[in-house]
Amino acid sequence: MSEYAVLGKRVPRVDALEKVTGAAQYGGDVHLPGMLHGKFVRSKHPHAKILNIDTSEAEKLPGVRAIITQDDVESGRRVFASDKVLYLGEPIAAVAATDPDIAEEAADLIQIDYEVLPAVQDVMEAIQPDAPRLHSDDTKDGPARRAISTVLRKLERDNSQDHSAEIAELNAQLETIEGEVYYNISAETHSASGDVEQGFAESDLVVEDTYVIPRVHQTYMEPHVSVADVESTGKVTVWASTQGPFAIRSGIAGTLGIPLNQINVIPTTMGGGFGGRFGVVLTHVPAVLLSQKTGRPVKIQMTREEEFTDGRPAPGCVIKLKTGVKNDGTILAREGLAFWDSGSISGASIGSTIRLRGVYKFPHLKVDAYGVYTNKSGTAAYRAPGTPQVAFAGESQLDEIARKLNLDPVEFRLKNMRVTGDPVPAGPKEPKVGYKETLQAVADAVDWKNRTKGPNQGWGVAIGDWTNGCGPGGMFVSIHEDGSARIFHGSIDITGTDTALAQIVAEILTLPYEDVTISRGDTDSAPYATGSGGSVVTFTMGNTAKLAAEDTQRRLLELASERLNTEVESLELKDGRVSTIVGDPPKSIGFGELAAYSLSTTGGPIVGKGSFARKPSTPALAAQIAKVEIDPETGRIKVLKMASSQDVGFAINPMAVEGQIEGGTVQGYAWATMEEMQYDKKGNVNPGFVDYRVPTSADLPTVESVIVEVEAPDGPFGAKGVGEPPITPTLATMANAVTDAVGIRITELPMKPEKVVAALHGNGK
Amino acid sequence: MKKHPVSLTVNTDTYDLLIEPRKTLLATLRDTIGLTGTKEGCSTGDCGACTVIVDGKAVTSCMMLGVSANGKEITTVEGLASRDQLHPIQQAFIDKGGYQCGFCTPGFIVASKAYLDENPNATEAEIRHALGNNICRCTGYTKIIEAVMSAAEAMRNA
Amino acid sequence: MRNFEFFEPTTIEDASALLTKYNGKAKLLAGGTDLIIEMKARTATPEYVISLEKIPELADITYDEESGLRIGALTKLRTLEKDSIIRERYTALAEGAGEVGGVQIRHLATIGGNISHGSPAADTAAPLLVLGAQVRIASADGERTVPIELFFLGPGQTVLETGEIVTAFECPPRSANEGSQYIKQKIREVMDLAFVGVASSAKSDNGTVSEVKIGLAAVAPTPLRATDAEAMINGNSLTPELLEQAAAAASAQSSPISDLRCSAEHRREMVGVLTRRTLQAAAALAQG
Repeated sequence: MSEYAVLGKRVPRVDALEKVTGAAQYGGDVHLPGMLHGKFVRSKHPHAKILNIDTSEAEKLPGVRAIITQDDVESGRRVFASDKVLYLGEPIAAVAATDPDIAEEAADLIQIDYEVLPAVQDVMEAIQPDAPRLHSDDTKDGPARRAISTVLRKLERDNSQDHSAEIAELNAQLETIEGEVYYNISAETHSASGDVEQGFAESDLVVEDTYVIPRVHQTYMEPHVSVADVESTGKVTVWASTQGPFAIRSGIAGTLGIPLNQINVIPTTMGGGFGGRFGVVLTHVPAVLLSQKTGRPVKIQMTREEEFTDGRPAPGCVIKLKTGVKNDGTILAREGLAFWDSGSISGASIGSTIRLRGVYKFPHLKVDAYGVYTNKSGTAAYRAPGTPQVAFAGESQLDEIARKLNLDPVEFRLKNMRVTGDPVPAGPKEPKVGYKETLQAVADAVDWKNRTKGPNQGWGVAIGDWTNGCGPGGMFVSIHEDGSARIFHGSIDITGTDTALAQIVAEILTLPYEDVTISRGDTDSAPYATGSGGSVVTFTMGNTAKLAAEDTQRRLLELASERLNTEVESLELKDGRVSTIVGDPPKSIGFGELAAYSLSTTGGPIVGKGSFARKPSTPALAAQIAKVEIDPETGRIKVLKMASSQDVGFAINPMAVEGQIEGGTVQGYAWATMEEMQYDKKGNVNPGFVDYRVPTSADLPTVESVIVEVEAPDGPFGAKGVGEPPITPTLATMANAVTDAVGIRITELPMKPEKVVAALHGNGK
Repeated sequence: MKKHPVSLTVNTDTYDLLIEPRKTLLATLRDTIGLTGTKEGCSTGDCGACTVIVDGKAVTSCMMLGVSANGKEITTVEGLASRDQLHPIQQAFIDKGGYQCGFCTPGFIVASKAYLDENPNATEAEIRHALGNNICRCTGYTKIIEAVMSAAEAMRNA
Repeated sequence: MRNFEFFEPTTIEDASALLTKYNGKAKLLAGGTDLIIEMKARTATPEYVISLEKIPELADITYDEESGLRIGALTKLRTLEKDSIIRERYTALAEGAGEVGGVQIRHLATIGGNISHGSPAADTAAPLLVLGAQVRIASADGERTVPIELFFLGPGQTVLETGEIVTAFECPPRSANEGSQYIKQKIREVMDLAFVGVASSAKSDNGTVSEVKIGLAAVAPTPLRATDAEAMINGNSLTPELLEQAAAAASAQSSPISDLRCSAEHRREMVGVLTRRTLQAAAALAQG
């Protein structure tokens, strides 16, 4: 892509200086005069009726300014538990005081009387009829009953003829299916194509297994924080560390019944989100309520422990999976049934169960999924929500099949992969895709065919697919009298997206990268921008930036045409000037002169506008190969090599793209080997970094990233979203490598040393 | 509860403060002095975002009381660059893309500075081990380690 | 954190007097890496905190071939880990110290704190057990010395009486034909607490080993010596068969619990594996 001057270059990020000097202002760095500090009173039980809340002792503590409970939420929307708590750590009240230590002391003084109820933490226990129930109206049929019930309903509705005999027969069949009514169900999805029974019947080999993936926390390094300031007019200002300021604005409006135009969300620099930082209930809404009540600014900052007990992590799940193949390695059928641990509220990720189809042809596919209530905090998105879990199941099982059929796991996958134009099982046709190229690229990077290994060493390969989201965004580009350009917008930069936007605008306007600056507004000032999740920003805001830059270009040409007395068609942008394309003598004029001139024209200053909402996204593949070594006595897993390829469409800034690939891969590695939110009957038992382990630099080698560029037709300059895909294969990559090293197949993550040792002793899962 | 007079030298400035004994050095730096470059990521010493240098040694400032820092010399991320030049480690984090969200970055840069001062010829394995008290969730560490390695080389050649 | 009164005495006598005066309501502050975390969690809510940092004699390391090693209780773990004589002669202790947390934590944490806290999983406990450490304890009334084997009473419990402060650890001198090693079972390379910690020390004696000591951590209510295994090995040469028997004996002498980190079975099994490995390494070091 050498035709570009700025795109495709490893330019330093626009926020470089503030990030390395400590100058960047994160949510917790906001300090307002007279600011109070809020702390929560949290449930000490995972499931209990609240009998009484006594705040009298806390109110007497000097420095306490307000205590709120659900009674203070006029809209009635659930912010605090009032009748019943559903998980350990659920907020029941909040205190505002002049000092965070005083607020904490006051929170400890609030007495809650409970009637403790039986709790359920395990997803497979929760679906049983004798399980404690979190909500009413939560019973659903399992797949077999559902198939019959669907026919039954159809027959019952059909009045054209008498179906009573068939109906009686089907009802009798229903009676025979036991244990297929599920309880505590929060949601369900079902998809199918072809006929899986036929597919399995035609298969030479059918492999069936159950995979268990734990609940993990996004573990963004900055805990949730907000500062709210409610003026006497009722105007609400919230400094929020969030992935989506506009989502926060509408969330606060919806939860508290405040008009949208009375809320300004000022986004701060954000310390990581990974999908977990879109909600309003954790800190934003309580801070607004406390500020409303006290008339003073209020900061609420969650502790790391609160992040674990009351955050919205990624759901764990149990996946029953069955795959049928021919002896030559042709995949015929797959059937999956997933139970997602939603926690106490209907949760995220269940929709990703369909990704059990991977990027393979699957003539026959059936996928059923249920969300299940348990006595845990609710869940939210985490980097390609749901896909790492299902890819672990799907890719582990394919690996097992390849081993059984003695097929090369790379060749086996390549053989069955879909290509451009192929039908997607239970979906539309594939657009332009580069699945095979991406897998081949990582195989080439490690010289797969010539790989060698020593004792207790093994190689694992796996893939994961994901399609970036798309959303609305607006942007302005202005040209200053010095000829430089300024971008103004409202989307949140976490990973370097502002840098990509500046590169796009610089490229189109032929400016040096340094001459484009970028500025983010708050929700009062900036045009709407979609939230920074779903790998959406470069795709959406990149397209928006392209439109805004092109609009700017139009105005520059128009002004230059007036000044140079030349037709617009004969002019072009070149090196930050507008010049005649062919001209004798050549004429040109600088952007600065045009900007100065524009101030006295009828048309006015140079302001390019871009506004964009939707274009088709293109699927991207991530493929990984790991080499590991197992200590068979201690069960410890050491990664010797980790290579990670990804189809990114076009890498606007390769350095930033590599950063995404490396970071996502390591998060996947961690999920595979160490991360797990653990629960006993009382709730989460590892709410801190001592027993919830995230990897450090000492645990890993360099991640080798391999960029593959299969152009996305509708992406800006062909770019695809890059943030999410790299986490999707790694759980399976690691498990497959362990299998190759020591012959054990671990189906229940994480692969902690004890589990590896147990499996080597022959009692593993 | 009695507040204690505390005198700290932070970067180049001396602060004479009166603080409650329960305030950590981290809280003192951030809330009392107003130097917010040092971050609070876990407040249990496990993530390293709050790393500062006290009398030449990198420590997790969330585990140290402000009163215990009395009379000591403290360097925070704000104290590394001179008016017109970044510290080589800061420059390397920019050049190598050693940060994403940036929240852990001050802690990493300060911990790296203290470690490279102690061991200027550190190998990659030594650096990976020595920075194990710092958690980064975005980068997967590859570019952080590249940055520290290249800064070490630049500092050796300076 | 609850508020508290803060003291910085400059003598052991003054510190001890304060501890006695505020009996039950006071805590000693050394490196703070345990105490401050507990205070934040309100699992410790002392009304008085007595910092030991200003007591000068608590921070020295001295060694001579006659009297051996003396480590002041306030010595930072990072200092131990890097000290050349400790690395060479008391290797297991340097390794144990280096296994605690990360560099920043070890710049704060002290050996006195690591031991006085009474954790059965303390990384310096098993090394001190095999290095024959004596714990020096002082109070306003005088001093006493307790062998490290007798120091621990149970999780979080030690022999320290009201007003008593650990001032130093003393280990006998060691010669070049003695070696020691500490290994812990963990998941992460750094920043992990010990699932199991094992230290071994041995003296090389013409093809046999003697003065064998094996210390176990995180597998019983207190750190303990695997005395049965030691007895089997002393005076013998380390054959693979003997190592296996010793490993099994050490496992049998442990009494681990199951908790969120791992099961008792896993701990017991790791005691065996790590006993064998540390014995081999200690003997190899002893042979030079």
